Amino acid sequence: MKGTRTEGRWMIRRFSRFRILEHWGIVLSTLVLFATGLSQRFWHLDFSQWLILKMGGIDNVRWIHRYAGVLFSLGLILNVVVAVAGVVRGKWGPSMFITKKDFTDAVENIKYYFGLDDHPAKCDRYDYMEKFEYWTILMGGFLMIVTGAVLWFPILVTKILPGEIIPAAKALHSNEALLIFLINALWHIINAVFSPEVFPLDTSIFTGYISRERMAREHPIELARIEEGPPE
Amino acid sequence: MIRRNGLALCFALVLLAVASGAGLARESDLSSQARKCLQCHAKEGIRANFPEDGQSVPARVVPAEFRVSVHGMLDCTACHVGYLPEIHPKKRFRSREQFRAATTSACRGCHSNGQIRGNPIHANFLKRESEGESPVCTDCHQAHSMNAVSGGKIFSNEKQYCMSCHRYQMDMICRNKERIPLKVDLSELEHFAHNKLRCSDCHFGFSQEEHPKRTFRSRRDYTIASSESCRRCHFDKYTKTLDSVHYAILSQGNLDAPVCNDCHGAHGIAHVSHTVKGRVLTTQKCRKCHAQVYEMYSKSVHGKALIGEQNQDVPICIDCHTAHDIQNPLTLEYHERIPQMCGNCHANPAVVTKYGLSPDVLKTYLADFHGVTLGFYKKQREKLYKPARPIAVCTDCHGTHSITGAGSSSPSTVKANLVKRCQKCHPAANENFPNAWMFHYKPSPSKHPLIFIVNAVYTIFLPIMVIGLILQVLLHVWRYAVNR
Repeated sequence: MKGTRTEGRWMIRRFSRFRILEHWGIVLSTLVLFATGLSQRFWHLDFSQWLILKMGGIDNVRWIHRYAGVLFSLGLILNVVVAVAGVVRGKWGPSMFITKKDFTDAVENIKYYFGLDDHPAKCDRYDYMEKFEYWTILMGGFLMIVTGAVLWFPILVTKILPGEIIPAAKALHSNEALLIFLINALWHIINAVFSPEVFPLDTSIFTGYISRERMAREHPIELARIEEGPPE
Repeated sequence: MIRRNGLALCFALVLLAVASGAGLARESDLSSQARKCLQCHAKEGIRANFPEDGQSVPARVVPAEFRVSVHGMLDCTACHVGYLPEIHPKKRFRSREQFRAATTSACRGCHSNGQIRGNPIHANFLKRESEGESPVCTDCHQAHSMNAVSGGKIFSNEKQYCMSCHRYQMDMICRNKERIPLKVDLSELEHFAHNKLRCSDCHFGFSQEEHPKRTFRSRRDYTIASSESCRRCHFDKYTKTLDSVHYAILSQGNLDAPVCNDCHGAHGIAHVSHTVKGRVLTTQKCRKCHAQVYEMYSKSVHGKALIGEQNQDVPICIDCHTAHDIQNPLTLEYHERIPQMCGNCHANPAVVTKYGLSPDVLKTYLADFHGVTLGFYKKQREKLYKPARPIAVCTDCHGTHSITGAGSSSPSTVKANLVKRCQKCHPAANENFPNAWMFHYKPSPSKHPLIFIVNAVYTIFLPIMVIGLILQVLLHVWRYAVNR
């Protein structure tokens, strides 16, 4: 990862073009999934009914939801395949894996927030909050894919499994959807927009670059590794 | 003054004499000839037999009735030409028909055509006569107890006037030779809803002055035409019927389609009754045409309760189909209204809880897949397009007219039937599939525990997570602000 100089600040490449594209894929597919899915979950609200009718009726909404679900599934599978392949080929380290350090970082950060420590936790490429988001979306995503498929093909599923699976899948699908929505829409957007360090918008996932000062504050371990140069 | 008072006194005395005499048949008021005839003809059971057709007519004359009748002063032979007390020919008439014709010609001996035409109804009879029929005077006027018919002047109201003829058995003859009885049972009329009405309120065009002649193609035509008079007062109901399936098939030319009179009757129109008896009667009206459906209904849980237990809570035909604007139940629009129809009772705790039924059945249906889809299809129908796909509603699983209680069959039968119902729309469904439906139960530790647990975990976990995440954000912002 090389640094460039923009507007008098050192910018460091944080995300590759593939990651930027991948983020856009998740943004668009989840936006469609949330619009079509949550309006079905909260079907009794006037807004949902207005939205569903605007989108061409309940049958259309269900089909749009399924197609968007297929795109999301493909993206998720691609993400896992690329991540695993990258680790296996030694292109990058398993930076998203949860380690013991993430828990100690969380405790350290809370201490810092309460003034018990004078500096925040020193994080590597991804801090514990980013990992939390990633894994909730990855695991939740797989749960959504499985339960979504069950709801799409109930007759096929009940050929093998008992019928109770269907309403259970529906309960899981709609509850998990709400959970992912809250993490994404609420927390992730608050962090990426309203966090004082990045306001009005954390642009790193769109441009691929992050300032050195932010790297020094948020990912000091990774910055140190970059500036040391690649280990030969 | 004295003279006038004297006259009044005389008149009162005469009246008193007439009144006191009216109750007693005093043969001395009759002509001597009549007294002679009545020696035999006052006896009970005396009849005249006709050899040719084997029929007979009563030959008895009640002296009291005859004496007070307008013909009370006449000799018998004035009408019964050819008879004298001394000469009493036997078997003069071959048949009853011939006898009846002869009585009419006896009347006409005194009452000229010109005289009888003065009454509008008689003009009709004269016209009929010219067409080859033979109206018989005594059918209306009686033979020996006829009263004065003086141009309606003696009638205190129109009903009395009409009843002076319509209390007798007589028929209107249609072009297809069907006969419509015109006899009105006043006692029937008086006990029912229209007892305060005048005859001409419904039979418009008829009055004490006018009695137009109307001929109808058939008896059915007459019934349909007479139902038209109801709308003059019941216009709201009439406009409703214009939207009904019954009116639609009537206007397509099916004269068997019911009109007002078919259900409500003509003179015996009852008040709307919400008693069990009234409700049972209503089902009987529908039964006249829909016998098969009634059979099914009478064996259903609703029908049995109505007929067997006089239960007021169960629905009758009109509760689902309505009474006047009855819709075609085979349309998608009707099908989609069914959950609300059933819900009228089944979502009302006051009605269903006493039978151990859950009032949540409508709510649980509407919240599940079929119910949500149905709800949107109904909305889309108004705003977007009409989905042609029928969505399973209450009746698709429970049946329509033949609904039985859920407890009346064994669970295995219910399940087997349910698989068949599912397969109607989901042909590849197997016996596991019906359990995908939660049978109107809300998830609880005993019913659908798996779903209950899933929901419970998320209900607890979600708020904790959200609070945690928001705290993290707030702490972060707070620390940032403090550091600056």
